[in-house]
Amino acid sequence: MSTPTPTPAPGAAPKKMKKIKVTRAVNGIDTEVEIEVEDTNEGPVWGPNDKHRLVNSRLVRVDAAPKVTGAAKYTHDIKLPGMLYARVLRSPHAHARVTAIDTSAAAALPGVKAVVVGPPIDVKLPFEVIFEGQAVAAVAAGTPEQAEDARKAIKVTYEALPHVCAAQDAIKPDAPVVVTGDPNVEPKGKKGEPAQADAAFAACDAVVEADYKTPVIHHCCLETHGMVIDYRGGDTATVYATTQGVFSVKTDAVKALGLPEDKVVILTEYMGGGFGSKFGLGTEGLLAVELSKRAKAPVHLMLTRRDEFTMAGNRSGSWQSLKGGVMKDGRFVVLKTYQRRLGGIADGSAAVQPYVYTPEVAYSEDVAVHTHECPSRAMRAPGHVQSGFAMEMMVDELAHKIGMDPLEFRKKNIKGDDAKNWHRTLDKGAAAIGWSRRNATPGAGAGPRKRGIGCAVATWGGGGNNQCKVTVDIAPDGAVTVKCGTQDLGTGTRTFMRAIVAEELGLGMKDVVEKIGDSRLGGANGSGGSTTAGSLAPSVKVAAYRARNAFAEKIAPLLKVTPDKVTFADGMVVGGDQKLTWKRACAALAPAGLSVLGDWKAELQSKTTHPAAFAEVEVDVETGRVKPIKIVSVQDCGLPLSRTTLESQINGGMIQSMGMALWEGNVMDADLGVRLNPSFMDYKMPGSLEIPELVPIIDDDDPREAAIGVAEPCLIPTVGALINAIYNACGVRIRELPATPDKVLMALLSQEKKA
Amino acid sequence: MHDERDGDAPPSEPTEPGRRSFLKGLGFAGAAGSGLLAEKPMAEAAETVGKLPPGHLDITLTVNGKPRKVQVEPRTTLLDALRIRLEPNLTGAKLVCGEGTCGACTVMLDGKTAYACLVLAVDAVGRQVTTVEGLGTPDALSPLQAAFIEKDGLMCGFCTPGFVTSLTALLRKNPSPNEQQVREACHGNFCRCGTYPRIFEAALAAAKAPAVKKG
Repeated sequence: MSTPTPTPAPGAAPKKMKKIKVTRAVNGIDTEVEIEVEDTNEGPVWGPNDKHRLVNSRLVRVDAAPKVTGAAKYTHDIKLPGMLYARVLRSPHAHARVTAIDTSAAAALPGVKAVVVGPPIDVKLPFEVIFEGQAVAAVAAGTPEQAEDARKAIKVTYEALPHVCAAQDAIKPDAPVVVTGDPNVEPKGKKGEPAQADAAFAACDAVVEADYKTPVIHHCCLETHGMVIDYRGGDTATVYATTQGVFSVKTDAVKALGLPEDKVVILTEYMGGGFGSKFGLGTEGLLAVELSKRAKAPVHLMLTRRDEFTMAGNRSGSWQSLKGGVMKDGRFVVLKTYQRRLGGIADGSAAVQPYVYTPEVAYSEDVAVHTHECPSRAMRAPGHVQSGFAMEMMVDELAHKIGMDPLEFRKKNIKGDDAKNWHRTLDKGAAAIGWSRRNATPGAGAGPRKRGIGCAVATWGGGGNNQCKVTVDIAPDGAVTVKCGTQDLGTGTRTFMRAIVAEELGLGMKDVVEKIGDSRLGGANGSGGSTTAGSLAPSVKVAAYRARNAFAEKIAPLLKVTPDKVTFADGMVVGGDQKLTWKRACAALAPAGLSVLGDWKAELQSKTTHPAAFAEVEVDVETGRVKPIKIVSVQDCGLPLSRTTLESQINGGMIQSMGMALWEGNVMDADLGVRLNPSFMDYKMPGSLEIPELVPIIDDDDPREAAIGVAEPCLIPTVGALINAIYNACGVRIRELPATPDKVLMALLSQEKKA
Repeated sequence: MHDERDGDAPPSEPTEPGRRSFLKGLGFAGAAGSGLLAEKPMAEAAETVGKLPPGHLDITLTVNGKPRKVQVEPRTTLLDALRIRLEPNLTGAKLVCGEGTCGACTVMLDGKTAYACLVLAVDAVGRQVTTVEGLGTPDALSPLQAAFIEKDGLMCGFCTPGFVTSLTALLRKNPSPNEQQVREACHGNFCRCGTYPRIFEAALAAAKAPAVKKG
């Protein structure tokens, strides 16, 4: 991805530059990088958050009509003349040596046009597969049915090898080595002095030591991963991709196709969900490219739902050992952490502990434990969800151990310049849920159905970077187009692009059209790490601002005023006592119209968010069933770009987090090395009957006049809030997710035994 | 060892798809032994379902009120027939799970909701098939579609046609449902972005809106 080149103003002096640190996400994992930007006070500002006309208002999602009518074309819906349908064959073994692959019967079947072994393409035999679901071959045929027949007709000879699919087995010294060259327990980082932490516990009034476990969670994007590769030999190709990164797919596709960069086009007009799992070409894309090359025909390769569950990545599980110590007055003295990331053959993710809170002494150690399981990928707030859950459990346990209100304990132990922001979101959430209603004594109350309330906080960056090149075109007929090769995952990207431009030019939402999802348009970052809003919105704002200024320059002589006296409002262009309708004014731009490039301005975005979530649940102590009653999620985000779509996004964060807390989780048969629930039949996502009352609250007291992305932070804290609410309801800690009835009942039972 | 674990066991003969036994049960036995699925030029396919020729079948589906000729295999699902075989095709109904668990492929058959991935195209012959495209267009939205937009009952949009179809069927049967009835009417539909609360709002708002089209 290339960095946008700022358009120099004609005759401008050499620019003064400055270095700043920004967030850049690679495959959904955010990292901090240093970039050089222009050091100037010039250019647009957003102005006060409550003084916008379209931005920060209740906008209607601009791409809603094609979506509710079925008119929107997703990658899965692409149908091209002569297009073939492809299927992938996956390993049924967690660990095996492939000694032979016979594709002759498959190739001879009716309609079959290409068969590929790998990846790597045409892999040399024998080779090892190291997780159940690893792709070993793919076929392309005239119809999906023929492709399915051919997939089943490929004969693979596996020699089963010893596997290890449970973390507690993988850490044993005699366990089979999972990833060649890496130990099964791979160190990922250490922070602090262990001896200092150990010593600090001695002085504490109360100590809690516990293990917290989160399972592997699936993205469950409704549109499975896949591509349509339109390559018919020749020297050009078009790739239809369901992706969060049009340009990262392009980089991969150019390489896989072996074509020049300017001969490959990536298109993502609509996409059916990503949640961190859809960035590069992927295994499925590589196979599709190869099938297309061999068949010299377009290939439609969309994974089946079972493929998706077993080969398309997931949120890594975690097994975290925490030990915390406090004083009676609520001082959080010490935290010692040993985090194990469970990312299968990949590294998984973890956030550095202590998360959010600032104990006086801390030691943390972070390792990846490898097993013969599908590699994890980024998933909405990777690492933060797992580490945040463990930390919020620990904090709650410590508060109860010293008899302190857990909300007070939290406020006391969030320190530093940012503390006031969390205090604000916590106070708002506490008011909205009615914190004072909660059980003073956990488990209090008569009857088998017990209510409880819990809370949790989180953090996420959400800042942007300078990867977006945005163009605003104004045509002589009055048409306004804002263009960038970025993608809209359903988050509302199109909607805020249009709003920013329309507001700047004094137009309505219907007067502007956005064009996205096309690699021929200006470059853009991948939509990972919640960096889209912070990257794209400033670039759109700069482009719109420059377009307005350029228009003012051109139209000023006609209005007989200087350019600074030209205003744009209510669809009119005004200068002095002269007034032109927008269309009339645009006619003066003939014949070429205006086309203005916008680059990024750091001051138009900010980073770091301080979300808080509160949850009320009802626990049936006779059945162990947990029913969520109400969830409140308070999210700060600087300038909200579009309130309606933002609230929808916060709702989505609460619901996904609730799924993780109460129902979801990969079930692995460690003995057989296979997944037991790779379908929606057996993997329980939240459905319409389980949705509680949801209250998304945008924190309008965040004073920052800057765009910040919140896709990820709004998910993190709900899971902790729900599990802490279970404790408040019935007095038991569920330290291993999901909090299914069996776990709740077992916890209640063991508590009864103790009592 | 556990090659057959995920439910798609390799067939004993590659040309014998798993659905053949299913077809036998449906009275296709006469054709089953005669190379039903051997590839034949399209032109050789017979014209009616009753005749069951070798190769593809020419059938006529009634889709959104119009007769639509389409060539299918006996095992072709209604969903694939709509999405792939029809010319021009209809891609509003989505293939998400292919096993009747998610509702993204929901259509109406004679006014009742059905998972198009679980219905054979040949079984839809003689029945009224209604897809989301038959409920409204971007320029002529149904009241429910308009309410989905107004309430923001969608995000990525991939599950949306299924929800719109399920809830349209509800409103045609029960023009003034309560929230619990709305929830029950779409509990066969999954959304991952988390649009449920606003879908419920949309359905309840559309119920109050005048002129809900009766099916």
